Amino acid sequence: MIQHSKQVSLLSGFFLLEYLRSGRFLLELSLVIACFVVFLRPTGTPIRADYFFTVSALFGPVLAVLITSAIIGLGDRPQAYIILAHSISRGVYLISLFCAACAAVLIMYGILCLLVALFNPVAELDLIKWFLATLPLSLNIGLISILTLLLSPLILGTGWRLFVLALIALALSSNVIGGPLLNQIEEINPFLITLLRAVQTLLSGPLVPIFYGYQLSIIGNFDNASAWANLLAQGSLLLAFLGLAYYAFNRRDLIFSVS
Amino acid sequence: MTDVILVDGLTKRYGHISVLRGVNLRVTAGEVYGLLGPNGAGKSTLIHLLLGFLYPDSGRIRILGSADLETQRRFIGYVPERQRYHSFCTPREYLTFLGRCDGIPETQLRQRIDELLKLTGLTDVAHRYLRTFSRGMLQRLGIAQALLTDPDLLLIDEPTSGLDLDGQQELLLLLNNVRQRGHTVFLCTHRLAEVEYLCDRVGILANGHIALEVNVAEVRQMAGSVTVQTGPLDLPLRQRLEMIGREVTCDEQSVVINPHTPELQARVLQILIEANVPIHALEPQTSRLAQIYMRTVRGEAVDNLLVSRQPTLQVLLRDAIPPTPIDEVDPLLKRLLQRQDTNPTDQKDGSQ
Repeated sequence: MIQHSKQVSLLSGFFLLEYLRSGRFLLELSLVIACFVVFLRPTGTPIRADYFFTVSALFGPVLAVLITSAIIGLGDRPQAYIILAHSISRGVYLISLFCAACAAVLIMYGILCLLVALFNPVAELDLIKWFLATLPLSLNIGLISILTLLLSPLILGTGWRLFVLALIALALSSNVIGGPLLNQIEEINPFLITLLRAVQTLLSGPLVPIFYGYQLSIIGNFDNASAWANLLAQGSLLLAFLGLAYYAFNRRDLIFSVS
Repeated sequence: MTDVILVDGLTKRYGHISVLRGVNLRVTAGEVYGLLGPNGAGKSTLIHLLLGFLYPDSGRIRILGSADLETQRRFIGYVPERQRYHSFCTPREYLTFLGRCDGIPETQLRQRIDELLKLTGLTDVAHRYLRTFSRGMLQRLGIAQALLTDPDLLLIDEPTSGLDLDGQQELLLLLNNVRQRGHTVFLCTHRLAEVEYLCDRVGILANGHIALEVNVAEVRQMAGSVTVQTGPLDLPLRQRLEMIGREVTCDEQSVVINPHTPELQARVLQILIEANVPIHALEPQTSRLAQIYMRTVRGEAVDNLLVSRQPTLQVLLRDAIPPTPIDEVDPLLKRLLQRQDTNPTDQKDGSQ
């Protein structure tokens, strides 16, 4: 276990270094600066905490998808064969990619926070409040990263990726299912719509902690037990997705992309 | 003798394409085994199966007696075909990183890296970025990283692929040096010279299975073919030459002796001189291994090529040794004898 932890930290560090040396971080850094300039620049009046965390909640997933994709690109190369031939298990490799991606996203988020703290401090936001609001946001970033990793060609084949995407689409489809088009279908085939609604309810279950997590970081109310229960649910969901990715990665042939 | 690699009935498909169809293979400790095969025969697939990167559709793989390939990877050094490394590292950084992944203690690691950089001739460029390296230098780095843990088994995939002649020669010398350290080596290639130079035994992978296994030392003793370029040969003379044996074939201006022996060559030349036919050239053609390889890949019979005119190594050794109990024989000789006994050269269809 200790050896595996050492390997994860070593490999995550190596991926981060590769990410820096490749120069790709400049793109994400530019986006962070652009986000600050467009949404969070000094305007004379200090910004409110809920506004800052709303911007962060919208910008975080974008960063998570971009950075995780870049790091997956670094991990999905023939160079990986040599690393894996050196006592690195598939599990360690996958977790290291995930850790490197999360660390890079959090560093970028840290830079955004630093820019705000230096040039346009948020009114009535101390370090504890910032930390508490950042917790659900970070867990959501982790969830977005692991979903991006799960949907990459490294983990799932094309067929399975389409299947998982279809499930996600179905989970997010409450507006469509309630829409006029499907109301018409309901008149023709009520059973189909009942079935769709049941599947949608089932699949949208895991989305509840994600959306409530964003709400928590924006409202910043951690006085009740449901806030902490939601953090636990987010953590559990993260572990579940990580387990799913590990299961899939462990069972597939390793054929890395030739760039 | 310990089996380092044991493969039994291995099959692998990519979609509808069947790449390996019942591969049987056995490589014993200290042996240098060459796997020959044309491009696309499945050599790299086999190596990736041995490393556990790919899963077989059926069949069994055991490395050093264990089927848990992920665990056994710590006993394996792997030199990949394509020289793709993390180009933003220096060789020293890269080897340090890999050594740490392997859990080698720091002091030991530094010493080991210095030793390997010296062995592979990369000491002077140890602080240069890998992106500035030539293919030959990258391949030497590949060997250095494979030897980092002093592995029991080395898997080498197309070592001289993409190298110029100088690079090929340098690398073969390096591999020969590595070979003498006593590692078991499994070498995949489509270059016969590499196999003839480095290997003890060779398997030919064709049509998804090991179609033939031969002992390289024995094949080296067998002659190749010779073509005698002559002036015009009339029909009676051609018939007379072909009467010498089925090894001699003629056309209108040349005589091919295949397989070639000095006796056959002398008889052919004598007949040509007696008939006053001008002899323009005596051209040595492909080696015996090349002939065996080409025929095996085409699915043709090779029985006549495997019959040596000279006594085989096995016979020579047996004649030289009085009937001593096998345990008292010199270990190297014992190894040779046991190998001769367990791996007859005329096996076909991968049967062991």
